[in-house]
Amino acid sequence: MADLRIDLAGIQSPNPFWLASAPPTNTGYQVQRAFEAGWGGAVWKTLGDPIINTSSRFAAVHFNGQRVAGFNNIELITDRPLEVNLKEIYETKKKFPGHAVIASLMVEPKREKWHEIVKRVEDVGVDGLELNFGCPHGMAERGMGAASGQQPDLVQAQTTWVKEVATTPVIVKLTPNITDITVVARHAAKGGADAISLINTINSLAGVDIHSWNTIPHVGGQGAHGGYCGPAVKPIALSMVAECARDRGVGIPISGIGGISTWQDVVEFMLMGATGIQVCTAVMHHGFRIVEEMIDGLNNYLDDKGLASVTELIGKSVPKYSNWGDLDLNYKVVARINEDNCINCNKCHIACEDASHQCIDMLTNADGKAVLQVREEDCVGCNLCSIVCPADGAIDMIALDSGAAPMTWNQRQQVISTLNGSYSEAEVV
Amino acid sequence: MSAFAEFDKERQAVDKLLQQGYGIVNIKEDLDGAEVTFIRSGSDGDPVKLLLLTADARKHVTTAVFAGIRPAAPVEASI
Ligand SMILES: Cc1cc2nc3c(=O)[nH]c(=O)nc-3n(C[C@H](O)[C@H](O)[C@H](O)COP(=O)(O)O)c2cc1C
Ligand code: SF4
Ligand code: SF4
Repeated sequence: MADLRIDLAGIQSPNPFWLASAPPTNTGYQVQRAFEAGWGGAVWKTLGDPIINTSSRFAAVHFNGQRVAGFNNIELITDRPLEVNLKEIYETKKKFPGHAVIASLMVEPKREKWHEIVKRVEDVGVDGLELNFGCPHGMAERGMGAASGQQPDLVQAQTTWVKEVATTPVIVKLTPNITDITVVARHAAKGGADAISLINTINSLAGVDIHSWNTIPHVGGQGAHGGYCGPAVKPIALSMVAECARDRGVGIPISGIGGISTWQDVVEFMLMGATGIQVCTAVMHHGFRIVEEMIDGLNNYLDDKGLASVTELIGKSVPKYSNWGDLDLNYKVVARINEDNCINCNKCHIACEDASHQCIDMLTNADGKAVLQVREEDCVGCNLCSIVCPADGAIDMIALDSGAAPMTWNQRQQVISTLNGSYSEAEVV
Repeated sequence: MSAFAEFDKERQAVDKLLQQGYGIVNIKEDLDGAEVTFIRSGSDGDPVKLLLLTADARKHVTTAVFAGIRPAAPVEASI
C-alpha cells in the first residue's frame, strides 16, 4: 500500500484529504467524527467576530437527474464565539494529535485585529492558519473576505501582518471572483504566505422561481448573490490551480479546492500541482464516509501506477499545461465511428451537421442498414460528435500523422515576421 | 465544395509553384486571408501572388516556410 502522508508547507497530514472550511467543520463534534471516518485534516469553519446568519441559505442546481450538480450558499462565517470554537479545537487536537487542524480566520483588514486573532488561535495548538480572503457575500459587504481578496495589495499587507506574529504555517485562501488569480497568488507569496488554497466560491444566483418571481434561495421574498461550488465548478478550480502551479512568481505549495468528490478528482488536482485537497459540497451531499472510497480508490490507483507515495503525483501534469500559442497546429485528430458499438441514435450526425463541419455522412451499407461514416479529410477533429455520443466506444478520436513537423502559432507568427522582414529589406535595396 | 476540396485546390496551387522552384518570400495576412508572394529561386522574374482563403492552406504555407522550403537566394537574386 502506498504512503498517503503529505506535508503541506510544514503541515503534516496522514493523507491529502482535508475538509474545507464550511458547515462540516463547524464544531468539534463534526471534525472528530470526520477524523474517525478517515479525513486527514480539517480547516475549521472560519473564525472571526461572530455573525448572524439568515434562515434559508442554501440552494442547489440539479441537472438532468443529477442532484447537486452545483451548490449555492449565502452563509457567512462562524456564528459561535471564538472561545467556544477554541475550546473545541483544543479538545480535537488533543484527541487527534496526528491529524491536521487548521484555523480559518477572517477579520477586518487591520493589523491589530489580525495580531489578536492569530495569537489566540495559535495558543490552542492549531497546525496552521488559513486566511479567508474569499467569502463572496455578506462579509465582503463589510470589507472582508472577497472584498479584501480582490485587492492584491491588501492581500499582501494582511498576509505580512499575520506573518509578523504567526508561528505556524500560513495558507492564504483565494477568491476566484477576480480576472487573474495568479496576481493575487503572487501577492500572497510576496506577503510571506507559506501556501495558498483555492478556490473559494464563485459569485452566483442559483435561480429565479418562475411562478413566484422570487430568487432561489430567498429570504422573505428578498435575495442576494451567493457563492457557487460543487461538481460544476471543478473545471474552473482546476484551471486556477494549474495557472498558479505553473506561475514561477507564485512558487508556494497549493491546497486544491473546488468540486472535488471522487478520488479521481483528487488525482487530477494533485497532478496539476496541488499538494493536498479540501472538500466541502461532496461531504454536505453524501456525508463524511465518502472519504473511505476516496482512500481506497487512491490507494489502488497508486499501487497500479507503481507509486510508493502520493507525493509523487504532485505537479506531474503541470509541464503539459501551457499557452494556446504553444500548441502544435499540425497535430491532427479525426473521428472514427465504430459500427459495432453504434446504436444509430444519429446524435453525432446532428451535432456535426448543425454545429460543426458537416462531415458525418448517412450511408446505407451492403445489408441495407443505415450507417454513419466520417469523411476524415473534412473532419477538423473538434471532438463534438464523441462528446454527444451516448454509446461507449462508438466514436474514437484517432490521431493521424499529418507528416508535417510540429509548428505552434507562436512559431508560425515568428516565421512570418522573419520572412516578411527579409523580403521588405530586399525591396528597399 | 467540401472544405477539404477547397483546401486541396489551394494546396495544389502552392505545391505547384514550390515544385517549379518558386520560394515563399512574403505572407501578408488580413481580414480576407493570406496573400502569399512567391519568387523563383535564382531568378529576377516577376513575383507570383496567391490569395489563400482556407485555414488549412494558410497553415500549409507557413509549415512549408517553417520546414525551410524557401528559395535558395531570392533576395540576392533581386538585388
Ligand atoms: C455552505 C458553505 C459555507 C462555506 N463557508 C466557508 C467559510 O466559512 N470559510 C471559507 O473559507 N470557505 C467557506 N466555504 C467555501 C468552501 O470552503 C469551499 O472553498 C467551496 O465550497 C468549494 O469547495 P467544494 O466545491 O468542495 O464545495 C463555504 C462553502 C459552503 C457551501
Ligand atoms: S470531430 Fe467534429 S468535425 Fe469531426 S466528425 Fe466529429 S463533429 Fe464532425
Ligand atoms: S452518436 Fe454514437 S451511437 Fe449515436 S449514431 Fe453517432 S456514433 Fe452511433
